[in-house]
Amino acid sequence: MAERILVPIDFRVASLNTLKLALEKYEGQKVVAVLLFAEYLDISISDLLFYSPTKKVTQYYTTEFKEALEILKNRFADRLVANISVELLHGNNTNAMQNFIEGNQINKVFVPQTYRLKTTRNSFNPLPLLKKVKVDVVPLAWDLPDRLSEREQLLDLFN
Amino acid sequence: MKTQNKLAAILGVVCVAIVLLFGFAIYYFFNNYSYVDFYKRLETRVSIAAKHNLETDTINAVNLLSLKKQHLEELENEREYIIKFTPAFSAADEANKYNLPKSFLQTLATQGKAQAKNGNAFYVGKLYTEDSGQYLVIVSAENYYVSHHLIFLRNLIAFGILLVVIIVVSFSVYFAKHIFDPINEINNRVKKISTENIHLRLDNENYKSSYEIAELANTFNDLLSRIETAFETQKNFISNASHELRTPLTSIMGEADVSLLKPRQPEEYQQSLQNILVQAERLEQISRSLLMLAQTGYKGTAIVFEKVRIDEILWETRSLVDKINPINKIIIDLSLLPEDPKKLKIKGNKQLLTLAFTNILTNACKYSNNKPVTIFIASSDMHVFVTIKDEGIGIPESDIPYIYEPFFRASNTNLFEGYGIGLPLARNVINLHKGSLTVTSEVNNGTTVQIKLPLMQF
Repeated sequence: MAERILVPIDFRVASLNTLKLALEKYEGQKVVAVLLFAEYLDISISDLLFYSPTKKVTQYYTTEFKEALEILKNRFADRLVANISVELLHGNNTNAMQNFIEGNQINKVFVPQTYRLKTTRNSFNPLPLLKKVKVDVVPLAWDLPDRLSEREQLLDLFN
Repeated sequence: MKTQNKLAAILGVVCVAIVLLFGFAIYYFFNNYSYVDFYKRLETRVSIAAKHNLETDTINAVNLLSLKKQHLEELENEREYIIKFTPAFSAADEANKYNLPKSFLQTLATQGKAQAKNGNAFYVGKLYTEDSGQYLVIVSAENYYVSHHLIFLRNLIAFGILLVVIIVVSFSVYFAKHIFDPINEINNRVKKISTENIHLRLDNENYKSSYEIAELANTFNDLLSRIETAFETQKNFISNASHELRTPLTSIMGEADVSLLKPRQPEEYQQSLQNILVQAERLEQISRSLLMLAQTGYKGTAIVFEKVRIDEILWETRSLVDKINPINKIIIDLSLLPEDPKKLKIKGNKQLLTLAFTNILTNACKYSNNKPVTIFIASSDMHVFVTIKDEGIGIPESDIPYIYEPFFRASNTNLFEGYGIGLPLARNVINLHKGSLTVTSEVNNGTTVQIKLPLMQF
């Protein structure tokens, strides 16, 4: 069975670098990649009534992010089983995160070691929660000397 | 005649014609109807008159008379005539006597029933047979209301038509004038573009409201791109040619010079002739490619777009650059190369793309003194991205806006040989492929050229 991995993102191209480094580890294996975006749920009743995760996610996509995601999808087409999906986490507590991990059947989580996910007024950083739940968390360092050029690689594709 | 005037005239004439037709039709049919209606009213009066005049002794007659007085409105100049109809009836005499139209009386006498109109007066008559004999009962009246209504209607329609004509004419003139505004604007803008500023383009954003106009602007822009490429290729052909041809020529001359310095062994002559031959072959190749450039650029032959693989082109370009500049350090980075080769296929012209990439790569090597140059290839679902990154001298920020202008050379390039042709040419080629080329640079840190080309859709 394909391993299911989770990568937290902030909808900036740079945050996809973790995904790239993670996918590079799965040479010759099958993998399902799930991206995690953590944000608080709206408190407006009408927004809750017409709540649609797909619509929310689409609204956050920028052209660059979309293209960068497609680039990774095309690059790792041999090992990716399904489309790379973006899931939303609304609860800023350990139980919610534990549920999320179990619900999505995540085997492994890859987090950036130094890069800080950018948070807005509505979103929060899921990294502290990930450290508290029972799941394999692998920090990935971008700034290794031999990785220096690759760090900017995705960024360089776009301005 | 200008198209806008023609449009206004057609619009105006058609609208006015329709309104006129409509007005006249209303008037004509209303007029007809009013006659029919009035004759019917008179006929009713004829039968009432016959009843109360000829059957005087019955109770009906009295009632009818009172009913008529109470409920029937007196018509203008309403008159009743009861004429006894005898075998000796003479239409002419009776007409004189009662001041009635003669033809009307004749018709009445022969057919027993008649209608007529004389000026404003209307006549209706009928032949009645009673015990006491035969009578012609005639009622005449003037159609006051209808004639006044008709005049009012006529004035109303005439006034309405006039108003509509004014509105339609002014509107169609206004409309015709302003529907061509964007076209006039495009016209003015295109007029301003001459050989001096052929890099100018129409601003598409302005025409978003109108699809056709936006299409026109796009077509103009495409046309301008093609013209610009052709024009600049032509304009730069001589300098390009001399630039390209000088290097091998210098080698040949140097080789020959050195060989002729003193008498040498046959092997040495052979060696130098060999070198001269290599350089001459290179010269031949360059002149051939220049000829190709000239042909594709401005000879009027259509540029053939075919299915090409971007990675193949890059590998070929690299080997070409290796020949021109053997000490280059070009690295093709495949870490983002897609698995599916379909994602590398674009619709393009191989020669032109090779030319563009050669220019960019030679620039990258030249301005970095042969430091490593990295090429990244990646592709999304819609585009292929090629990024060429060097560690050269960079471009000062103030110079960035001008780098696409032919013959412009950045202020820090004095130590390097060049004509400022390569990058504009490369950009034109990429534009021809509906792609985009962007340059980001930092002085002394290197330059990054990002090229985005649309993927071929399967």
